[in-house]
Amino acid sequence: MSMDREQKEGAEVLLMGNESIARGALEAGVRVAAGYPGTPSSEIIETLSRFSEAGKLYVEWSTNEKVAMEVAAAASFAGLRSLCVMKQNGVNVASDFLLHLTGSGTRGGMILVSCDDPGALSSVNEGESRHFARLMEIPLLEPADFWEAKEMTRWAFDLSEAIRNVVMVRSVTRMSHASGNVVLGPLPAVTAKAQFLCDGPVSDPDRGPVTSAPVIQKHRLQQEKLRKAAALFEDSPFNTYEGPETPELLIITSSACTLYSREAISLLRAEGRAGILKLGTTWPLPPALLKRHLRRTEKVLIVEEVLPFLEDQVKILAAEQAREIGIKTFYGKNDGTLPMVGELNPDLVAAAVGQILGIDPPAIPAEYREKLRALTAALPKREQTFCPGCPHRASFWGIREALQRDHRGGFVCGDIGCYAMASLFPAAGFHTAKTLHAMGSGTGIASGFGKLGPFGMEQPVLAVCGDSTFYHAAIPALINAVHQNADITFIALDNSGTAMTGFQSHPGLDVNAMGEASPKVDIAALCGAMGVPVTIGDPFDLIGTRVTLNRLLEEPGVKVLILKQSCALSPEKKVKKRFLVRVDEALCRGEACGCNRLCTRIFRCPGLLWNRERKKAEIDEVICAGCGFCAGICPAGAIRSEEAAK
Amino acid sequence: MRDWESDPAEQESGKGGQKELDEQVLGAGLCTGCGACVGLCPYQTVYHDRTVVLHACDLAQGRCYAACPRTPTDLAALRSRLYNETVCTPELGAVKGFFITRATDEGVRRRAQHGGTVTALMALALREGLIDTAILAGEGEGILPRSITVRDPEAAGMQGSSRFVVSPTVAEFNRVCLGNAAKIGVVATPCQALALAKMRTQPVSAAENGIEKLHLVVGLFCGWALSWQKLAALLKKKTDLARVTGMDIPPSCYHTLEVYTTGETIRISLDEVDPCVRESCRTCGDMTAEFSDLSVGSARLPEGWETARSWNQVIVRTERGMDLLELARRLGVLEFRATPPGNLEKLKAASLGKKRTAAIWLAGRGNTAERTGQAG
Ligand SMILES: Cc1cc2nc3c(=O)[nH]c(=O)nc-3n(C[C@H](O)[C@H](O)[C@H](O)COP(=O)(O)OP(=O)(O)OC[C@H]3O[C@@H](n4cnc5c(N)ncnc54)[C@H](O)[C@@H]3O)c2cc1C
Ligand code: SF4
Ligand code: SF4
Ligand code: SF4
Ligand code: SF4
Repeated sequence: MSMDREQKEGAEVLLMGNESIARGALEAGVRVAAGYPGTPSSEIIETLSRFSEAGKLYVEWSTNEKVAMEVAAAASFAGLRSLCVMKQNGVNVASDFLLHLTGSGTRGGMILVSCDDPGALSSVNEGESRHFARLMEIPLLEPADFWEAKEMTRWAFDLSEAIRNVVMVRSVTRMSHASGNVVLGPLPAVTAKAQFLCDGPVSDPDRGPVTSAPVIQKHRLQQEKLRKAAALFEDSPFNTYEGPETPELLIITSSACTLYSREAISLLRAEGRAGILKLGTTWPLPPALLKRHLRRTEKVLIVEEVLPFLEDQVKILAAEQAREIGIKTFYGKNDGTLPMVGELNPDLVAAAVGQILGIDPPAIPAEYREKLRALTAALPKREQTFCPGCPHRASFWGIREALQRDHRGGFVCGDIGCYAMASLFPAAGFHTAKTLHAMGSGTGIASGFGKLGPFGMEQPVLAVCGDSTFYHAAIPALINAVHQNADITFIALDNSGTAMTGFQSHPGLDVNAMGEASPKVDIAALCGAMGVPVTIGDPFDLIGTRVTLNRLLEEPGVKVLILKQSCALSPEKKVKKRFLVRVDEALCRGEACGCNRLCTRIFRCPGLLWNRERKKAEIDEVICAGCGFCAGICPAGAIRSEEAAK
Repeated sequence: MRDWESDPAEQESGKGGQKELDEQVLGAGLCTGCGACVGLCPYQTVYHDRTVVLHACDLAQGRCYAACPRTPTDLAALRSRLYNETVCTPELGAVKGFFITRATDEGVRRRAQHGGTVTALMALALREGLIDTAILAGEGEGILPRSITVRDPEAAGMQGSSRFVVSPTVAEFNRVCLGNAAKIGVVATPCQALALAKMRTQPVSAAENGIEKLHLVVGLFCGWALSWQKLAALLKKKTDLARVTGMDIPPSCYHTLEVYTTGETIRISLDEVDPCVRESCRTCGDMTAEFSDLSVGSARLPEGWETARSWNQVIVRTERGMDLLELARRLGVLEFRATPPGNLEKLKAASLGKKRTAAIWLAGRGNTAERTGQAG
């Protein structure tokens, strides 16, 4: 489905929301794009990287979101159009720079695209990046369909140049990952030369140095820019109204919720009673536009996901304009009409609208419900766990073995990556991982735990961290642990790729986002330079991992163990099994005392199956990745592995 | 005695698996470190001198619980199944004979703890084919013992001396059982001997069971064993651990632990050693390895400790034990001397003393025992 260079202007193609955003940037003549991978945002940079070309479009996967934003800002300062992309919590990482950047202002059009994840479908938070627009005093645009995703992004660059500041475009999972038809526009031939003009006076926004100081002066200027944006929003085509002239109920909404609201109204056949004001420019809200629409009705329902961002703004405007528009009754988050957590859907919105208008939502037909039940019952029950052949399963198995032997109640501080599974689903990490927060936080938390010895804490403290997360945010935390002489064992789970989000490049690899050869930064050398002992191991070498870990757990200070083994889904492993593995039924002890299904009850690689009829374990040859690790854990030697032919 | 010598009703309810083992023994700090629950399956292992659970097993009944010397056991029933009841005494278990012996071979004696009787008998049993494999406790890392398996009588003759940190002897037996050994002899502390006896009499259905390969149990008298961690910490205060060559506990009137080093002998007051004693040993009522074929300890002689220390006292309990000892006498492997009058009575008194102390400890622990989960 993905968009490519061959597709010509005027063609109507099926694009994913994220591709549409990328296309909008391309049609705006973006020259530099930087981001950090994170669902649901990753496809934007991936798409752009396919269009990258020296001197025309530079694309990078940066070490983290803050760096991505800095890289994009530099291009803007040099007069080029630039884009930085991240998921919702990435904006938190970038926010310190963003605060200063919005103070200094930009030159070439610069867009921040943030893809939020209401309902935390692929996150461990449902953070809201919309609030940053308000906090940082920059305009916010939210597309509600695929056409808008492209057009809004394209226009956002113009807006950025008009107000000389960053413009934020915010998408959500259902917008970024759904697909729809989009007509492609022309790709401009951009030629602007990169040059940073910086010899002018501080007050010169085009030729002076770029800083957020003098603060008061710049801050005042920034607020003027914001008012200018609000004025432009008054007649933006991205704000539309559909419905009766004087509806009983006015729904104010934006983004994916627009679709839910439309569906809810049609579900309730309430087209004659409710209208929808769909906003694309959600901060700052254009006051005159709002006044016009609020006048139409007495009752207002604000439909948005998670926190009442729009709701608060609408209420402020309504209070300010109360004399002209009259008193309204508001429905939304604050009165509990809609939930303040999780994703919305048409049913939830229909229930809310139905409640306000006194309409019972149509019941789901009994036979449909029955069909649905039968269908879902037929679905195989799959638990969330590591892939077959995943080195993380082996790493946590080794960690468990070492911690149980050590017997002092040691635990692992988890981190963000596939291996977060160990914290989220205790059985997947064999009950070793006990904390999970932001990227790199496992190491920082461990550093803190590692100083609690004098308070009587005797438990050994471990931190795990993937390679990409290591570069992203674990390094400062590890340096802290070293400098503070915290007692921790830091384990880098090095699977040579940003596996969770689809193998984007990172500083540990020798290729960049554009496919060019690039120098790699070695984790072991970096840790070694911190002056702490570094051991490199292979998680598939169970005994080696366990013995090393037990030794390290006894030693004070910071110890680094790098468990290196490429991801089971990595291109080189996907094509071919290393071992052919089978279960010798005659040896398998099954449920008897002496094994009690260690392989399928505790280890639980999806490649291993329990045959209920025969009461024996077996290998699912289709699913088994051929890593051979399970052969080493079977107490009966029943799992046989032999090296696959070359 | 309570807990593991229990009435039949309690025994019926005392069936269990890993969960019960963990609750009643491991988690309660009562594990002896014998290793009986180790090596049968993937769930328990020994690390240093501690038995640990690696993963949870949910079987309701298992061999781990059945074999453990610290789960409820009907000792009377066990005794009547394995021993001739006519020779059973309440203080020392079965006593078919009581002797003072030592190894004739001076080399064996030099390397031995006391008279070298144990080493000489194991080497003899191997040489004569009574057993084809001997499981002993050899030197491990630092003051940790290591379970060793020997098939060569010469090699067995080179081993000797006591390690006061427990050795996972029964785990080694479980491992060796699976191999091609046919007749296994084990040198066992009382708890290890009890575990082996339990395995002989109540095999839980299992994938494989090698207990029929057990042909000889030479028991050691045992007052207590020490926690590796605590002993190491204590010794570190006194000397360099690497210099320690051995240890012994002279008769109780000396009230010391003697630590032999490459240099001088260090004498540590038992008051200082006492906190290092494994919790489980305080609750143990068996001083003479009552569930063995024959048991060996240090001798008491009128000449005093300096002479007695190179002799052993031996309690023979079974036919097989007696045959071995007589063979040793015939072949001149062991020297015998007359048993001083009153020695058996003194031993009985000491054994009874241990049974009493254990009962008091157990009663004192009650159900409010501190559950640290730490061995020793
Ligand atoms: C922990 C412990 C406590 C003891 N307490 C007493 C006591 O209170 N009173 C008393 O009279 N005797 C006690 N003994 C027995 C005594 O120390 C001698 O082992 C016994 O007298 C036999 O001496 P020997 O010269 O024949 O032994 P040796 O010929 O030296 O042979 C010793 C044998 O003991 C085995 N062994 C050594 N350490 C261990 C261990 N930790 N677990 C299992 N097997 C082991 C060796 O494999 C070797 O076969 C104790 C022994 C141990 C291991
Ligand atoms: S671990 Fe081995 S013995 Fe146990 S069920 Fe699996 S294949 Fe069978
Ligand atoms: S070899 Fe075993 S552990 Fe590896 S993928 Fe196959 S079933 Fe899973
Ligand atoms: S498999 Fe048997 S011996 Fe092992 S823990 Fe389970 S019940 Fe105990
Ligand atoms: S006493 Fe022996 S069998 Fe019981 S838990 Fe300890 S090592 Fe296992």
